[in-house]
Amino acid sequence: MKWTESDIALFEKEKEYVDTAVLPLVPISMTSSLKTTVSMGEYISIISSELERQLKGRLLLLPAFTYLSSEEQETTKNRLKKVEEELKLGGIQHIISLTADVNWKQVEDQVSSALLWMPAIPLEHMDEQYKMETVSAQVKQVLQFVTNTWQSNINS
Amino acid sequence: MAKKKEVTRRQFLNYSLTGVGGFMAAGMLMPMVRFAIDPLLKEGAKQEFVPVMDTSEITNKPVRKEFKIDQVDGWYESEVTQSAWVYKDEKDEIVALSPVCKHLGCTVDWASNAAYPDQFYCPCHGGRYTKDGVNVKGTPPLAPLDVYNKKVEDGKLYLGKPEPR
Repeated sequence: MKWTESDIALFEKEKEYVDTAVLPLVPISMTSSLKTTVSMGEYISIISSELERQLKGRLLLLPAFTYLSSEEQETTKNRLKKVEEELKLGGIQHIISLTADVNWKQVEDQVSSALLWMPAIPLEHMDEQYKMETVSAQVKQVLQFVTNTWQSNINS
Repeated sequence: MAKKKEVTRRQFLNYSLTGVGGFMAAGMLMPMVRFAIDPLLKEGAKQEFVPVMDTSEITNKPVRKEFKIDQVDGWYESEVTQSAWVYKDEKDEIVALSPVCKHLGCTVDWASNAAYPDQFYCPCHGGRYTKDGVNVKGTPPLAPLDVYNKKVEDGKLYLGKPEPR
């Protein structure tokens, strides 16, 4: 489900079925390596919206968690933790953070969400057909990751 | 003789006035009529068919095909990806099912669960459908999968809108 009024109305009605939140982690920078930063954000937003389309009924796609590239890692991490707490209070059991920013790998074990890092693929010069194939192949693997998270929860 | 054919001043004025007046009236009425009947003219364009695949590629096994349609959402026009499960049934007829689960709208997958190799399976809450798209009793979905409007032209399969059964 998306972060829109109509979807949220459905979310409130069917809360027991929606236990997963997807949080894209998107860096912002206007001064250094602008293009790389933008491509990270764009790629992650494509992947996460495609993921939402496939698993609409069980996950809620949140607006991106944004931070400055120059921000202290400690502060960003603490801010993310606050968001995670809030989501947990709202009844979300699984939080999946998607990012293309490799810095998150270093704090992966300190946050409670399932953090998934993937390198941003530059889609800029691809033709439409190839782009769709690339994205859907990538999303397929992310899907696997998400369903595994659900599975492991049942077993535990 | 030449005199008989001559047009009087009064006649000439009459003709030219009705002529000009008629143009002006038509100029005013035409747009109004056009506006009034516009919704009727537009209806035809709504149901658009999109080419999806060659009919020769279709087998008994459902395959997922993705295609793009233009969607107008208020003032925002965008390209939306849609998928369909396409296969031939026992009577050799082409079937195109919408993969959107009737429970909460996840995308269902064919034979993705090893326990149910001949069913559509929804990864979200374990909803199941038989090959013809009918929901399995006891799983969350309460209705069968939507079926696409379809037509075949020049060996190509065209899909329109998914319709509930």
